[in-house]
Formats: sequence, structure tokens, C-alpha cells
Amino acid sequence: MAQTSGATNQSTLLPLELVDKCIGSRIHIIMKNDKEMVGTLLGFDDFVNMLLEDVTEYEREEGGGRRVTKLDQILLNGNNITMLVPGGDIPENSV
Amino acid sequence: MSRKEALSQFINQIHGRPVVVKLNSGVDYRGVLACLDGYMNIALDQTEEYANGQLKNKYGDAFIRGNNVLYISTQKRRV
Repeated sequence: MAQTSGATNQSTLLPLELVDKCIGSRIHIIMKNDKEMVGTLLGFDDFVNMLLEDVTEYEREEGGGRRVTKLDQILLNGNNITMLVPGGDIPENSV
Repeated sequence: MSRKEALSQFINQIHGRPVVVKLNSGVDYRGVLACLDGYMNIALDQTEEYANGQLKNKYGDAFIRGNNVLYISTQKRRV
């Protein structure tokens, strides 16, 4: 009866399974140091390094503005990732 | 699970291609990717260093220690 691990329990979803479900769809990545990325997730590894396509990078600039960079395909270092949000909404006021 | 193959495939195919490497500091390095390892240590050829979008320096060969790397970016290749 007792549920010993989340992996055997079909009703719970492991955190990385949620990320796995996002493969092929748009994802919004919030990073340390006021950066955000929106792109299509192609894959990721155990460190949550991510392979992304058609990426838009949003950076906060000193003057209060924000810099937007478009990138074709990137291998993103997982080190600075803080949060992943399924769906590719453009961050309106966050950065 | 987790499509690690997509990453290894990407890593295998970008050797010799022009890439943009962005560091956590915000500095960009543009060059031809000579080598890449599991730490994201990178060797670049014909490297150009851009800070704030302006060319600051050029190097023939450059080694970038992986801990500084924010991302490695490539142009899509139409096949």
C-alpha cells in the first residue's frame, strides 16, 4: 500500500518528466542574472543543459531597457537556469 | 527519456562550423568551433571578441573554460 517512490506511482510526475513532456514545444526559461530565453526545446541532459531552437534571448540593460537577441540553435548551459515554464509566452514585464 | 541524443548529435555536428559563444559576463566570442568537451570547454579558431556588440579583439586560436559559458549558438544549416 505504501508508496515508496514517485517513480512507481503513476499519478505523480517527476520534475524532469515535466520537462521531457515539453520536448518539441515552446518553453520559457528564466535564468539567474535577469536573463530569460524563449525557444523550442529539442533536448536536455542530466544537468538540464538544453538544446533549443528559434530562440529569443531577453536581457535587462542598465538603463532599464531590455536587449532582445534572436538565435537559431543554442546549447544552453544548465548552470544558470532557475525556472522552466512550458509555453513560449514573451516575458512582458518580468525582465 | 530526456533526449540526450539530441544534444550529442548537436555536439557532433557543430565541429568546424561558425559559432557564437556567449559567456556569463555578456561577452560574445565568434569563431569556428575547433573542439568541445563535456565541460563545455571550447577551442575556437579565428576568434573575434565582442563586448556590447563591438569588436574588441581578435585571436587566432582561443580556449574558453567551460564554467564561463552561457551558451553555444549556431546558424541553422539547411540540408
